[in-house]
Amino acid sequence: MSDANVKELGSSSIQRLQVRPLTKVVFAASIVLIGVGAAPFFMDAYSVNVLVRSMIYAAMALSVDILWGYLGVLTFGQSAFFAAGAYATALVFTYGGFSPEYAFAAVLIGMAVAVALAGLVAFLAFWHGASALYASVITLVLPIVVTQLLFSGGTYTGSSSGLTGFDTIPLSTEAWFWAVGVWLVVLTTGAWMYTRSDAGRLLIAIRENEQRCKYLGLNTSKIKALVFLICAAIGAIAGWIYANYTMVVAPEIAGFTFGTELLIWVALGGRGTLFGPVIGTIIIDYASAHLQGDFPFVWKLVIGIVFVSVIVALPRGILPLVSNAANWLRGRTRKAQPEQYSQLQLCKAPRIERNIVVAGPALVVSGVEKRFGSLEVLSGIDFEATYGEIVSLVGPNGAGKTTLMTCIADGSKRSGGTISIGGQDIAHRPPEECVRLGVGRKFQMANVFDTLTVGECLQIARARLDPLSKWKKSGVCQLPPSALHVVRATGLHSDLDVPAQLLSHGKKQALELAMVLALEPKVILLDEPTAGLTKTERTLIGTILTELATTEQLCILLVEHDLDFVRDISSRVIVLHQGRIVLNGSVDEVVNSELVKTVYAGSGH
Amino acid sequence: MVPVLLDIITTAAILYIVSSGLLLVFGVMKLINFAHGGLLTIGGYAAVIATALGLNPWIGIPLAAVFGGIVGFGMERVVVRSLYNRPLDAILATWGLSIIIGQAITLVFDRGVHFAEPPIRGVISILGEPYSTYRLVLTALALLLGLGLTAALRGTSLGLSTRAVIMNEDLARGLGINSGLVRSITFTLGSGLAAVAGALITPLSSVDPNMGVAWLISAFMLVLVSGSSLYSLAFASVVLGGAQVIVSNYFGSVLGGMTIAALAAVILRIRPQGFSYE
Repeated sequence: MSDANVKELGSSSIQRLQVRPLTKVVFAASIVLIGVGAAPFFMDAYSVNVLVRSMIYAAMALSVDILWGYLGVLTFGQSAFFAAGAYATALVFTYGGFSPEYAFAAVLIGMAVAVALAGLVAFLAFWHGASALYASVITLVLPIVVTQLLFSGGTYTGSSSGLTGFDTIPLSTEAWFWAVGVWLVVLTTGAWMYTRSDAGRLLIAIRENEQRCKYLGLNTSKIKALVFLICAAIGAIAGWIYANYTMVVAPEIAGFTFGTELLIWVALGGRGTLFGPVIGTIIIDYASAHLQGDFPFVWKLVIGIVFVSVIVALPRGILPLVSNAANWLRGRTRKAQPEQYSQLQLCKAPRIERNIVVAGPALVVSGVEKRFGSLEVLSGIDFEATYGEIVSLVGPNGAGKTTLMTCIADGSKRSGGTISIGGQDIAHRPPEECVRLGVGRKFQMANVFDTLTVGECLQIARARLDPLSKWKKSGVCQLPPSALHVVRATGLHSDLDVPAQLLSHGKKQALELAMVLALEPKVILLDEPTAGLTKTERTLIGTILTELATTEQLCILLVEHDLDFVRDISSRVIVLHQGRIVLNGSVDEVVNSELVKTVYAGSGH
Repeated sequence: MVPVLLDIITTAAILYIVSSGLLLVFGVMKLINFAHGGLLTIGGYAAVIATALGLNPWIGIPLAAVFGGIVGFGMERVVVRSLYNRPLDAILATWGLSIIIGQAITLVFDRGVHFAEPPIRGVISILGEPYSTYRLVLTALALLLGLGLTAALRGTSLGLSTRAVIMNEDLARGLGINSGLVRSITFTLGSGLAAVAGALITPLSSVDPNMGVAWLISAFMLVLVSGSSLYSLAFASVVLGGAQVIVSNYFGSVLGGMTIAALAAVILRIRPQGFSYE
């Protein structure tokens, strides 16, 4: 397909895209708001009263869903932020009395405390190398610590019985219903637009494959911490509303049990669906209030059983089931319409000011060592590579080739020596900062975002250079000529709306290569880019790489086992054996070397 | 000084007893069993039943083992088995099982607090200080449990299979070890141990449907800090249990209640593998 063709496909859909979703959202939100406005006139006072609380909880569930369903952070601690907001309010009103200024101050204090706590959690939980389980553990410790602190407050915080009897914002139940209803609708709409935007896809990318995100130059720890802080602030506002509305706070609202209950609501509603958790929470909490009186323990037992069944059998929750059923029914009654694909427009990125002919070597490795305890994997590695060069690293399994790649792409990995990229020392920088210096790394196993589409994967790869839209799908992805060339040559441009997991092995490899090139690197590290590819695909990749080296003046470092491939494309070959460089020379020198035959065949002694 | 020292030793012993079942399941299955608290509660109620039937209080312990084992076996078959590849979901599902256990117990008994007859009453004089005999008996039991589990893992063929599964499950399966069976037995054993621990701690804590939650958190933290070794669990019990006793003594029991969790979080931040030497 030609260049013009791609653009045409894109531009026809772009207009449709920009107007319609927003109008749709506003329309849907307005209908729900009308419903909220009318509801109190059709319900008894008790139901209205219960629903206000249910909607506050729904806002909490929404924040948990963003963290767990989208970002993949299983949090048990959202209750602590809720309690921060609620207790700040209760304490201010108890000891200062009620006034509108104090009410305003209370929400600010609550948010400040929640954000400070969240900052501490984020500092502990989201650091380079922390596991998902560890992050969950920290969020589990938080409510325990906060509950104990509330207990230790003694009479000041009301200890185990909490605080009550303070004056709050004087509103009728109906007024609270409208206020909370509007807040929830606005919050949900905002969250919906954010999660559907390009930046929202980034959350999913982090959930799917955080390592790849880091090697795309994205500081995932910072992104996670930021989202966590925002969700903490939402929790604090919900707590503020709760304290104002119920006029009671007790340590239970800070607890691990409430934190886990939020997870149950989100899981039942459907994680990662936003509407599921909101609707699910309202239904469950409302039903609990009505049924708990008649069947107190049986109701909770039923919830427990349903929860376990949903986790086991329907990991995505109940909402997807409902919407699938609805789609099926619609399919039966109406003529099936072709899916409206949001075609993405690919275009050339404007050249960033980078000298094409750069003086000095692109990559200097000197005296690099890597030890695991007493085991020495690499020692005394010295070599240089210049722009426009394709250097192949060869050597038998266990020679340390991949380890060397890792040391170049992640400054914290080597045990000794220095590495510089384009004249800059990488020191102990983490991968995302090495990317900034100009390193792009392609992994041995194709490492892409499985549930995202090809187009979205490419957009995420560009996120470092082209900030993503936080409220809509931009529908455009700017790629440098090299990445665009790979996409076109391998036919990926016709798969832009295909989820990456459905691609063939070869296309996945090509996609990852395009993603790495989208970073506009100076040095690219390719770990067995042709492994598992067919002969044709291999030739194609080889041609592309040679072109990249000559036209883009890229420095390409390649790990390969296929010596024919190496011979065809390399300008130089480095032979690694038992962690040392045994030969560094031209292709002919290496191919005719007795030493290489010895190393590979293990004979000749 | 002597009572504090004894408190540290006996607290560590109790924590070891409470955590060993969880550690076994975590070590073999790489799965965090949040139903551990519920199983502990089952054990507590087994002791209550023994008291209600007028049996010798010691009978409550094998009774707890049987109840816990049966429930654990059932849970593994019906729920846990399908979640081996989804560790975070397994935490949630087992927490759900814990809720089911708690509610079922509430339906059979009630929400109130129950008491079980302690197997041993009275105090014994140690260096002139009177000290609870039962806590000292628990320390001896913890030692026996540790030795017994180590011997079982080292000395039996099932133990050998279990260790193989812990180290490298794929390889173990390739060598013809039925890892499904190993998992099933481990989960049953871990559940039985949890219930036994629940019965053993009844003289020290009241029995109610939520008695397991606080213990679950402590046990969970200890296991995370210990990795999958019974030795490092003993070490972690002494260090964290000791810290808890000291903080409770000098800063009050409220802050003592969060010592284990907070300290474990910090330890894991500094050293992600915790006290495990691997």
